[in-house]
Amino acid sequence: MRPFPELEDWQAAPLDEVLLQCRDLVEDPELPSVKRFRDEGGKVLGHFQVYFPEELAHAAGMLPVKLRGAPIDPDHAESRFGSYLCSIIKTSLELALNGSLKLDLFVSHPICDAARNLSAIFSRNFEHPSQILYLPQNANSSHTVTYLRGEYARLCADVEAVAGRAITPGALARSIEVFNESRRLLRRLYDLKRSRPWLLAAEDAYSLVALAGLLPRETHNELLAWVLDRLPERDAKREDRVRVVFEGGFCEQPPLDLVRALGRACYVVDDDWLIGLRYLVEDVPATDDPLLALAEAYIERSSYSPVQHDLRKPKEDMLLQRVRGAEAGAVIIAAAKMCEPGLEEQVAYTRALEEAGVPFLVTEFEENMTSFTGVELQLETFVENLLFA
Amino acid sequence: MSFVAGVDVGSTYTKCVLTRRDGAVAATIMRRTGFRLPEVSREVVDAALERAGARRDALAYVMATGMGRHQVHDKDLYVTELTAAARGALSAHPGTRTVLDIGGQTMKVTRLDEDGRIVTFRLNDKCAAGTGAFLEKTAHYMGYDTEEIGALLSTAKGSVPISGVCAVFAESEVINHLSLGTAPADIMLGAVESLVSRSVQLLKRVKGESELTLVGGILRFERMSQAVVDKLAADKLGRGITVNVLPGADAQFATALGASLLGWQRLARRGATAESVHAP
Repeated sequence: MRPFPELEDWQAAPLDEVLLQCRDLVEDPELPSVKRFRDEGGKVLGHFQVYFPEELAHAAGMLPVKLRGAPIDPDHAESRFGSYLCSIIKTSLELALNGSLKLDLFVSHPICDAARNLSAIFSRNFEHPSQILYLPQNANSSHTVTYLRGEYARLCADVEAVAGRAITPGALARSIEVFNESRRLLRRLYDLKRSRPWLLAAEDAYSLVALAGLLPRETHNELLAWVLDRLPERDAKREDRVRVVFEGGFCEQPPLDLVRALGRACYVVDDDWLIGLRYLVEDVPATDDPLLALAEAYIERSSYSPVQHDLRKPKEDMLLQRVRGAEAGAVIIAAAKMCEPGLEEQVAYTRALEEAGVPFLVTEFEENMTSFTGVELQLETFVENLLFA
Repeated sequence: MSFVAGVDVGSTYTKCVLTRRDGAVAATIMRRTGFRLPEVSREVVDAALERAGARRDALAYVMATGMGRHQVHDKDLYVTELTAAARGALSAHPGTRTVLDIGGQTMKVTRLDEDGRIVTFRLNDKCAAGTGAFLEKTAHYMGYDTEEIGALLSTAKGSVPISGVCAVFAESEVINHLSLGTAPADIMLGAVESLVSRSVQLLKRVKGESELTLVGGILRFERMSQAVVDKLAADKLGRGITVNVLPGADAQFATALGASLLGWQRLARRGATAESVHAP
């Protein structure tokens, strides 16, 4: 499948044109790449934030699609949710209610009180099946990996029933290799963000990651490799900007214009935007039991977010690691409006940063915000205080 | 010899101030901003270098500011107009604690602490009623160009009230006054006083302190600066505030100058040479 139907020979196009196409695709609330996949006879598995083992859908020939909300008005979804809930939960449902997103299977993980009900609401509104994946609440039990393997196996049965195809160990191993390649490419992208952030605008880096949740992964791998190979040749000036880490984009996503505004004021050298698509931080090894390997990777070799609780990796310590690893000079701690897990972590984050002497800015955002003047002014004032202190 | 360029891309004019390491101004250039911001920002820097007799490789740093700051060609960094204007005002008057900046599309008041850091600020509302555009439109209604405003004001014998609430509504007021035989100069002064009233309201909101320094393109008109001084003297809250008026075109270039000086500050802070700043 080509990433951009209107750009037939996209590999002959200039890099800037390809990046523009990427942004357009990510911002299109009609999800045209998903629509094309389904129109060509494919089946689609939609999974809500944060982490989902996409290899399971891929091994059954389905397209795993990351539901990450959209900058749209949740006209229909407002009737299904209370007004006190976050936006992403409503707009993700809205995409399905307004017909932009047609699914064959929906899976969510109860990451918070709002998301806990999402699968039930999907099942009451759509004919396709909806499932809940119960990722372990306790990562520190000796039985956690075994439990998770069993949970993945349970989910496989639902995926197979919808796909009409068995998920064989061989197929799963091949899918893991495709996603290992994806993980390697995404790591290369973040290495570049850290080492030469001036080569790629923040919104372009964001779009390249987001497309992993919208395109067949082989297509995305080809696209990302093509872009990464061309970025070093780019004629871009290194500016004298502050290097920052953005924390708070693990579930609801900031609108692309806000990402652009952040990237204008500073270099965003690391972040947790769409962290679920980058959750496994190393390759998953090839073994005789690929389900167990996937489960083990989630527990033993994964990133962090406010919705995974693991005593071995306190989130504030993980944030400091991220800051040091990226040689960042400051942190933007943001939370989506009404996001309880995000807001709760802010306390620990700010305390740890204060103790470590790392400057930070606390702010909030909403995916369908349209005015960025206030946030941008806050950010610019924060940055100027650092630059001219 | 190295230079730092401060480039202030305003809504109406783009200004460039080139300074030497000791802060001395080597060249100033101004062009109409137009709609091609990267091009005009490059033009003003090139013209400033030419005026200073310097080559492009003598440029150690480019600090951008103003409405179009994100679009400045080859910039090293950008800062908000608030920070740049404050630095520009402080360079001329180190005792500055409040800055009033009236530009083509915005009016800003900033209060500074003893170390020159921004404590608080206020901007005008989204419409252009309290800005230079309001004066320009008033002048244009009466058939005068922007550059004729200063000369027109100098002939005013009095003023007539003009509502500063809306530049569009002000047009009908201007027509009414003209139909009654009011002199254009007196109408222009009325518009100036209306604008000054709005600026004093902003000053009150930030609890402006002495010394107040006036910057921005509109304040290059002597009568405009005088109106601010008079209004503050007449206002109970404004009495006792020392008002610094920058001479000639300095008010218009103050923000670009501030940006340029901040560029030197960054270079000094980094302990960097021009070469290391630009190294990949």
